[in-house]
Amino acid sequence: MTGRSMREEAARAARNRAAAPRAARLIAPLLVFLLLAAGWQWVAFNLKSILPSLQSVGLELLARPGFYLGHLWVTLSAALSGFAIGSAIGILLAILIVHFSVLRAAILPVALMLNVTPVVAISPALIVAFGFNAVPHIIVAAISAFLPMLINALTGLRAIDRDAQDVFRSLSASKMETLWHLRLPSSLPHLFAGARLAIAAAMVGSIVSEFMGTSKGIGATIIMATAYLNLPQMWVSIFVSAVTSLLLIGLVDLAERALIRWS
Amino acid sequence: MPSPLPYQAPAADARDSIAVKGLAKVYGAGADRVEALGGIDLTIPRGAFVTLFGPSGCGKSTLLRILAGLEEKSAGAVTLFGQTPETAARAKNIAWVPQSSALLPWLTIRDNVLLSRRLNRRADRDPACVSRPEDADQVLRELGLAEFAHHRPAALSGGMRQRAAIARGFVQGAPLMLMDEPFSALDELTRDALRLRLLEVWERHRKTVVFVTHSAAEAVLLSDRVVVMTPRPGRIEAVIDIDLPRPRGRDAADSPAFDARVRAVKDTLRRGWEGEE
Ligand SMILES: Nc1ncnc2c1ncn2[C@@H]1O[C@H](COP(=O)(O)OP(=O)(O)O)[C@@H](O)[C@H]1O
Ligand SMILES: [Mg+2]
Repeated sequence: MTGRSMREEAARAARNRAAAPRAARLIAPLLVFLLLAAGWQWVAFNLKSILPSLQSVGLELLARPGFYLGHLWVTLSAALSGFAIGSAIGILLAILIVHFSVLRAAILPVALMLNVTPVVAISPALIVAFGFNAVPHIIVAAISAFLPMLINALTGLRAIDRDAQDVFRSLSASKMETLWHLRLPSSLPHLFAGARLAIAAAMVGSIVSEFMGTSKGIGATIIMATAYLNLPQMWVSIFVSAVTSLLLIGLVDLAERALIRWS
Repeated sequence: MPSPLPYQAPAADARDSIAVKGLAKVYGAGADRVEALGGIDLTIPRGAFVTLFGPSGCGKSTLLRILAGLEEKSAGAVTLFGQTPETAARAKNIAWVPQSSALLPWLTIRDNVLLSRRLNRRADRDPACVSRPEDADQVLRELGLAEFAHHRPAALSGGMRQRAAIARGFVQGAPLMLMDEPFSALDELTRDALRLRLLEVWERHRKTVVFVTHSAAEAVLLSDRVVVMTPRPGRIEAVIDIDLPRPRGRDAADSPAFDARVRAVKDTLRRGWEGEE
């Protein structure tokens, strides 16, 4: 073999190596997806009370898309409000903890306790307190979003470059300036990681909270479906909320890519 | 009650030099106690380029950080042209160049270099402030970074980022620049080029520089004075004047006189410190 053809051969091999994983990345999930669908159909066919067939789920969605969109909108707006409130509080508390270390001992145990308290256990109390409206669901969503944001914001605000911190200190930058020009920008990747977890948690929170005290929202359509043993409705509700959560996480990714252009 | 100290007028040259007297620093306590500096006396005249040279652990960074007001001293006195490090730092009179470039990745090189202007604006009206900010574009040109002014740090090589960090120091226009091994993370060729570049720019601005290194050749090439330090506790073994002519350029390191100075610096260190390989 001539040197030249060897080089071409090597280049082709390199191209193939690069192409193979790319194809695998597309095919592998597709294969898993197909396998899951086949398994699903097998269960639906043999054990009718466990899963509805995929086509009955699809037909249910196509039969009344407006019904699901309407309920999804109720859930989504509670989740988004809760996400906004919960992450804002999480970030603010993280900023306070970073600057006043006494607060750390005061806030973290309470935050962790909130986190291990099952939201289903608090929502009846919230309904009693705030009535049959969106407020209890927003609060549950906010509580769910709060902790992942707090933890990630704390990590991010602390993970600052030591040398950069020295430069700021040597210039006697104020705490406010250090926060605004150093801590917050360097913590952005962590804040977005927190946002991804928080937004999914807010969706789960608002759905679980809608299991009780309301006839609106995806949580309510799931409870209705249980009462009427309507398996297709139940599974459309589940799929619709899962897809929505995925889309929300995708939006956070997009926002991150738009905002963090320096890495 | 302690008797009041009699008032002492500052020495005539206090405002024209950096004075360190009986400086000691102890980290930790009990079993963790480390005596990082044990009685440092040092005077640095305005406009001098001085290096702190010695093995790692001899307290070079500690001394530099105390000068910068980044670390508290345990005992002794430090004045920087008549000001305490704290006063000088509050007035932005100290330019700190750390080991890594510490550029902010979200700012362009130009904005990074202008950082000192963005922060601590109160210092600009402080009567203690003696810094005279320099033109960012001019300094970037001197350091060969003009074309990259609007790039972000991630687009630059390690050597270029370090040049940008040095530019940030000069743009601040502080009378004193403190540099803690700014070249130590670079490959040797880049380091050689950067030393000459630093000398060139320094000749133009003539700031007082205290520069930390553990390379004898680097110390001799750059400095007017090499402060040889030894560890446990950190002490000054000797201060060696480097009387090589300036400006020192590409061939400054090729003379027998240069080699003799490097040897002298290394021998001084060896006398005070039996190396522990
Ligand atoms: N923040 C710190 N806490 C405790 N010990 C320290 C600290 N910084 C430095 N030391 C110790 O002080 C001594 C001098 O360190 P340093 O000033 O960094 O030396 P050099 O810069 O010459 O390598 C070393 O023994 C080091 O372990
Ligand atoms: Mg050091």
